[in-house]
Amino acid sequence: MHHVVLERWSRGSSAIHRRDPRAKIAPLLMFLIVLATAHSSLPALAAALFLLLCAALVWARLPLAGAVIRAGIILPFTLVFAAICWLGGDPARGLSLLLKSYLSALAVLLVVSTTPLPVLLRGLEMTGVPRFLLMVAQFLYRYLFVISEEAQHMRIAAASRGGSRSRLRFRAAAGALAVLFARSYGRAEEIHRAMLARGFTGHFRTLGALRFRGTDAGFAVIASLAPALVRVAVERFV
Amino acid sequence: MHIPDGFLATPVWATLDVAAAPALAYTVRRAQRGFDEARIPLLGVMGAFVFAAQMINFPVGIGTTGHLVGGALLAFTLGPAAAGVVMAAIVAIQALVFQDGGILALGPNIINMAILGVLAGYLPFHLWGAGKWRRMAIFAGGVVSVLVSAICALAELLVSGVRMPAAVLGISLVLFVVSALLEGAITLAVVTALETIQPGFIRKPAAARSLALGAVSVVAVLLAAVGVLFASTAPDGIERLGQQTGIAAHARALLSTPLGNYQAAFLQSPWLSKAAAGLAGLALIYTACLIIGRLVARRGSA
Repeated sequence: MHHVVLERWSRGSSAIHRRDPRAKIAPLLMFLIVLATAHSSLPALAAALFLLLCAALVWARLPLAGAVIRAGIILPFTLVFAAICWLGGDPARGLSLLLKSYLSALAVLLVVSTTPLPVLLRGLEMTGVPRFLLMVAQFLYRYLFVISEEAQHMRIAAASRGGSRSRLRFRAAAGALAVLFARSYGRAEEIHRAMLARGFTGHFRTLGALRFRGTDAGFAVIASLAPALVRVAVERFV
Repeated sequence: MHIPDGFLATPVWATLDVAAAPALAYTVRRAQRGFDEARIPLLGVMGAFVFAAQMINFPVGIGTTGHLVGGALLAFTLGPAAAGVVMAAIVAIQALVFQDGGILALGPNIINMAILGVLAGYLPFHLWGAGKWRRMAIFAGGVVSVLVSAICALAELLVSGVRMPAAVLGISLVLFVVSALLEGAITLAVVTALETIQPGFIRKPAAARSLALGAVSVVAVLLAAVGVLFASTAPDGIERLGQQTGIAAHARALLSTPLGNYQAAFLQSPWLSKAAAGLAGLALIYTACLIIGRLVARRGSA
């Protein structure tokens, strides 16, 4: 499963893994903006940025082929739109959609697979995203696997009970969802009681505060400049 | 439908990102109002529920299946503000963990799905959820939430210059309507099943409004959405309107004052200078907002 692999990758110990999450969020945004605003000589720029991302993936000691394939998750959706643009007589835009969305996905994948999600969300908190929202996202991610597994069991149970008429199956699926909803609700209450019992006061306490060191600042500056410089170079010389 | 990065034109994603920040902040504040911190695990687990609900397939016709999108269902059970927060968290996790939807496109996606979709979905329930039209209101909520989200996403793509042949546009609109009707049917079926398990899950809206008034407002929402769609297929029309009324000239004068026509003179490359000036402007606004926010918070706590 996708997220399990990400979870494993993000626990690595390369130089990129060790950087403060904020030192990775800033370059990511820079990369995405540089890519999104590019218009001229896009194929050359895309190739250069792809090599840049590959270098970072190797530096982070992530499986290069695995990551490059994994970012392809986005392609089925994008290919449909590229085909629409092609049909609409605008093949250049179709190509640009493909290149931009794939490289953006690969860049996000690089950051997410070098930063455990809880750490990434903590990094976001310091940039002004509402803490309430981030805590909800944090819980969502934590219980995603638990509730998904429950849904999986229900699906297998329903399939093994059989049933042919689609009207009945529709009602059965609705019933299953209602039960899943009620169980999730009950589970949330249990979680909250357990948290209160452990002294929860309304915000998470974490082991070890995030520290933004000089190395992080240096990394953030260089990594943010890299895509911009690549673009300047490509537009100058290609 | 989550828009990936690279699909939207820069003015579109940038504007919607800027617009999404205060909208989301307001939603978060509303969701927190009058609620203890027990809500945090509840909202998170309900978000996980919506994710997991995608695994339960609903049969539609021959061989095809659909699944719950969830915005309307969450609004009926948790309230519109909390549902908006949960949907925003879902959109963010999908963009980060599953590469489903872009990071720069987070603002547009949050506005489409978590703000407009949830609000539009809650509207029929808010209006008729207490009266004899209740079942219809629940169905309409599911339909409207998906329809509004999808139409907004489509409009944003069209404004960004993605040209679609008329046939493709027609097919996608038909698909939107079908999936919206499906969401309505699923939402109604799940709400009905939930009420037989435990009636307390579904919110009780205030007394029923008149049917006519409500119908007018729901139709207005739909018309606005469709209007946006039509306007987006002819963006030249808007530009011409702007030029005729002189808004464009005013806007340019207004924009150019703080940072000299968006050009920082020390940079050579035109896009780089534009980007730098734009980023500097954004950073200024961001800092101002942060400072004002801190001041307001301090005054509030003092």
